[in-house]
Parts: sequence; C-alpha cells; structure tokens
Amino acid sequence: MRIHLGGHLGWYDGEKRDWLTIEQSDPISLPALAARLGVPPEEVAIIAVNRRLAHWDDPPVRDGDVVEFFPPMGGGAVGGG
Amino acid sequence: MRYGHTGKVLRVDLTRGTIATQVLDEELYRMYPGGKALAAYLLLSELPKGVDPLGPENMLVLSNGLLTGAPFSTATRFTAAAKSPLTGGYGESEAGGFWGPELKMAGYEAIVITGRAASPVYLWIKDDHAEIRPADHLWGREPEEAQATIRAELGDKLIRVLQIGLGGMGAVMGSKNLKGIAVRGSTKYLENAAEPSVIADLGKTLAKRVKENPLSWDLQVKGTPGLTAGLNASGILPTRNFRAGAFEGVDNIRWEQYESQLLSARRSCYACAVRCKREVKVDDRYQVSDNYGGPEYEAVSGFGSNCGIDDLQAIAKANELCGRYTMDAISCASVVSFAMECYEHELIGPEQTGGLELRFGNAEAMVRCVEMIARREGIGDLLAEGAKRAAAAIGGDAHFFAMQVKGQELPMHDPRGKVGVGLSYATSETGAEHLTAFHDAVLANPDSLQFKGVVPLGISEPLPPRDFSRRKVEYYTVMEHWNNFGKTNGLCYFGPAPRSFIAIEEVVDAVNAAAGWDLSLEEMLRIGERANNLTRVFNAREGFTRKDDTLPERLFTPLEAGALQGVSYPRDEFERALSDLYEIKGWDVESGVPTREKLRELGIEWAADLI
Repeated sequence: MRIHLGGHLGWYDGEKRDWLTIEQSDPISLPALAARLGVPPEEVAIIAVNRRLAHWDDPPVRDGDVVEFFPPMGGGAVGGG
Repeated sequence: MRYGHTGKVLRVDLTRGTIATQVLDEELYRMYPGGKALAAYLLLSELPKGVDPLGPENMLVLSNGLLTGAPFSTATRFTAAAKSPLTGGYGESEAGGFWGPELKMAGYEAIVITGRAASPVYLWIKDDHAEIRPADHLWGREPEEAQATIRAELGDKLIRVLQIGLGGMGAVMGSKNLKGIAVRGSTKYLENAAEPSVIADLGKTLAKRVKENPLSWDLQVKGTPGLTAGLNASGILPTRNFRAGAFEGVDNIRWEQYESQLLSARRSCYACAVRCKREVKVDDRYQVSDNYGGPEYEAVSGFGSNCGIDDLQAIAKANELCGRYTMDAISCASVVSFAMECYEHELIGPEQTGGLELRFGNAEAMVRCVEMIARREGIGDLLAEGAKRAAAAIGGDAHFFAMQVKGQELPMHDPRGKVGVGLSYATSETGAEHLTAFHDAVLANPDSLQFKGVVPLGISEPLPPRDFSRRKVEYYTVMEHWNNFGKTNGLCYFGPAPRSFIAIEEVVDAVNAAAGWDLSLEEMLRIGERANNLTRVFNAREGFTRKDDTLPERLFTPLEAGALQGVSYPRDEFERALSDLYEIKGWDVESGVPTREKLRELGIEWAADLI
C-alpha cells in the first residue's frame, strides 16, 4: 500500500518520509492505519483514498490502495461545516 | 534609558537632498513599537489626505520591529509602507531577509523618505553616516547587477541593499528616483537589549526546537510549496482564475516534483534556523537563475493551477522574472490568469496580445506575458496597472474575471473553503490579504498543535472552516490583533503560534526582555488593535467605507470542480459577519469607520479628528 504523509505529518514517520510503502494484505481501517504509522489523528484534516476524498469511518483499505493524509495547514476540512 | 531600540528615525528629503535624524520619545515608541504600528502612525499623522501616491508628496516608510535583528529564529521582518498606488489607500508589505536586521545594527528603527530626486540616486547608510549618492549608472539595471555595482563602489561585500516591488511600494520607490538603500551596521542587537541573556537563551532553544517541532520541521524541509497537494485535496487550490478548487495537473507541480526538478538549496533569513526559503536552478527548456528566491506556494499556484499550467520550469521562470524585475508574484500571476480568462471569452484577442495565444494552460504564453508586463510591452502596459484598472479599460464582463479587492489581487487561497479568509480579503486595509488573521482550519480540532497554540489568546471552542458564527468572528478579531502585533514587533508569520513553533508566552517574554518593559499579552494585543485602527482611519480619510469591504462576485458563485464542487461563499452570512466584525471592533456598523470612543480607548483620539 502506498501512503503519503503531507505537510508536517511526515515528521511522525521514523524516517521522516513523505511517501512510504507498507505491506497490508488484510483490510485495515483508516484510524488503525494512522495509528500503525504513528500519525496523531488530531493532526489530520484531509484524507484521500485513490484520489477520492475519504473519511475516518470509510471502508477499510488494503494493498493496492493509495492513501494520502494531509494536515489542516493552509487548507480546510471537508465536511466540517 | 531605552532598551531594544534607539528610537532613531532617518528622515530623507530627496527633493532637497537633505538627511536628518529624529529620535522618538520612549512613550511614543511604546505606543507604536515599530513595523506596522510605527509606519501607520507616521503616515496617518504626517501625510495629508488625497496625495498622489506616485507624486513627490507621498512618503515611503521603512520600519523595523522592536525584535527585528534579535538573534533568534524568525526575528527578521521590516515593513514597507506608503499610500498605495494600487489601492489608493494604506499600502504595506513586510519582508524578511537581512536588510532589516542590518538597518537595526546601523542604529535606526525606521527610514522616512519624502520628495523626489531630480535624477536617480541611492541611499548609503553606515551607522551614523548617511548620504545620497548618484545612481544614473544603475537605473534600469537588474537587482543582482545593481547590488554588485553598489557593493563594489562602496568597497564592502557584506553591504545589504534594499530593492523592493511589493504591493505598489516598489513603484513608490521608483517614483522618487530612488534605486536602492545600501546599509551596513556594527551594533549587535544584544548590546541594546534590557535582558540579553533571555534573548540569547531563546535563540538557542528555538534553534534546537526547529527539527523537534513538526510545524517548523515542515517549513524547513518543504517550505510553503508543501501546501499545494493538500489544498488540492481540500478542494481549494485556485484553478483557472478561481473557477475550480482542484487541478488535474497537480501531480506535476506538487512538492515532490518541485524538490526533484527545481530545488538547488535551502536558504535562511538572518539568524533563522527555520530556513524556509527555497533556492532553485533550471538549465533546460527554461534558464532560471539561482540569484532570486524560488517560487513560494503562492507562485506555484498563481502561475500554475490558477493559469491551468502544470509546467514547473515555466512557473519557476515566471517567478524568477518577478524577482528580476521586482514585481509582486501574487499580483502578477493573478493579472495573467485574469488576462487568460478575458482571452478565452474573446474580450481581448490576438490583436491586443500581439498574437500571443493567451489561453489557460499555455505555459509559454504565460512566461511571455510576465515579460510583457515587466517591460510594459503591448497589452503588458495595461496589465501592469493591475486587474481592476485593466478590467475597467477592457470593459464588458471583464470586471467579473478580476479577482481583486480594493485593487489588490487575491492571494492563492479560496475563501469558499475557509470563510474567515474571506473576511480578511474583504476588510484588510491593503486589499485582499491572506495573513490578516487566521486560516480557519487552525480552529477545527481542539487537540491539534495549532489550536493549542492559540489557547492563550482566549480561544477555546473548536469551529469548522465553514462555520460563520459570531464566535468565529470574535476569534477572527483577536487573531487579527495578534497578527498585527506580529507585523509590529518584526517576527515572521512562520514564527509564533499558530503557524509555527514559538509559543505566545515566549513572544511576550522576548518583547519585555528586549525593551525592559512589563507589558501583558492583552497590552500587546492592544498595540496590534491600535495599528489596525490607524490604518482603518487612513483609509476612511481617503473615502473608503463599508461598501469597499467586499469580495469578487465570482466567490459568491459555486466552485466548478474539486472536493467543494458546488460550494459558494455565503453572501447573507458574510454581510451579517461584517456587521458583527465592526461591532466587535467598535466601528460604526453602517460606515465601517472607527468610532471616536474606540479611538479614545486606544489612546489615539487625535485620529478621529482626521476623518
């Protein structure tokens, strides 16, 4: 699975990467994925799965998906009012 | 005894060719401690109503903040202010780099330039020595060449030279026949600070913290170009002159591409460990010199997505041309996208553009158009006047495509996804500005780093980006006062909370340690509020009222694409929020002008007599 940690979220990766690839053959929920990566959910404002806007409670993701997490910096929070 | 500042203002009359030094009273300086506050005070109290912005009677004020030049990260900013030729109101811009700190080391808090030299000149300041020198041989020369010549003839490679092009301030400087201001100073900041060890310790703490704080780490590693992909995913990346909020070519202009295609180095302003400046170099389809700073996010989006262009080399070239010709990249890019939309709607054609196919997506035409604007060639002569005046000259529906407020073109942030930014655009005294208060997402999550950073300001309730409640407006107001204090004390927007890594309490401590004062946070916010009211009075005196606090009509229409497709800026809520804002600020709700009571409360009742 390809994962992008936008803005300051890359800081939470041990190797400070923007993009990383992990093996995840079993489906994993977005909150569980963020936890596995060590990314605090309160710093995440926008999630995109395969280029489409996603939400924390969307269906689980797995190998083959591209998941992008973005912080609020300069941006918005879709669906948030 | 005064600390942290000398109170010295250098007065330069270019008509008479005279130079004098004024020393401000400590009490006066405490009311207006540099930067925006001092510039606004000088302009309002000394400039008469109705002067021609490009006439000799306009004043150009260059003012440092109290903390400018302090040896800790982000304490680098100075203000350039004058009556604006772009808006006809108060004009101002801030810049970092090394010039402000050098001026501080030369012992001056500000320079006030009046009149007009009979022939081109530049100003040379070395500590107490200041002189006006001929610059006929420098006129028309590009900044790098002009600066190298000045350094060579003065025999000092470390001289810092100011040449500006921000928000019409460069045009004011040019109208005075003033090519540049060279400065060299020798007094270290800490020699004048009340508690130098507090400032020095903060410097060490922040230098270490840069990499430990995710927000400053991000600015160091990516800088502002790191914003592009996230804004696109949020549906608010300005695309094709703000028609859409997502760009199909975003993958070619996002940070990862910028880093691999353009980046040659990361650079710093004076004593700043954040190092957010990008240096770029291209030697391929375009030649881009590394003598000028690389494109910030504003230029990536402005010359990129907002012109429908995904060619990073062309974007870097357009940005370099702005540096080379000292033009503001936001205004320049926005005027190009305006012209492209006019072309697509056949309001202008090849006969006006000299055969240039000025359509969205045409990178070559975009770069050529920037050159034409700089050289005032063909249609560039009209576009150089800004989108508002160009639209009036073109006629028809062109005004609808001019994304501007008070004549100032919009920065690359779409208020349809963050309504508080719309309030900034509408009410900022300089026209559309994105650093007036906050970007709404700061308030979205109470557990986030940014939200926690602004809790000392009394902000406690999380609010979504499109919430437009009175509470949002209250928070907006306190954040505007905080930012205006930042523009006064000389700290960069990327220093203090919420944008980056310096706690609000640390700023309070630094100000008091520098000046030997005992000001509370509330008193510092009051300084920011005072500065805001001075500039508001300046504009009211020039005839600005509530009707000028508006937004481009397009923002009230739905976004055509992206995550916020179909979303418009809420017109009714906007009018209500505007009334709320005036009420909260103590301004007359009908006219938007500060009341005498408010000005008295701020200790500036004299300003009420000027309206």
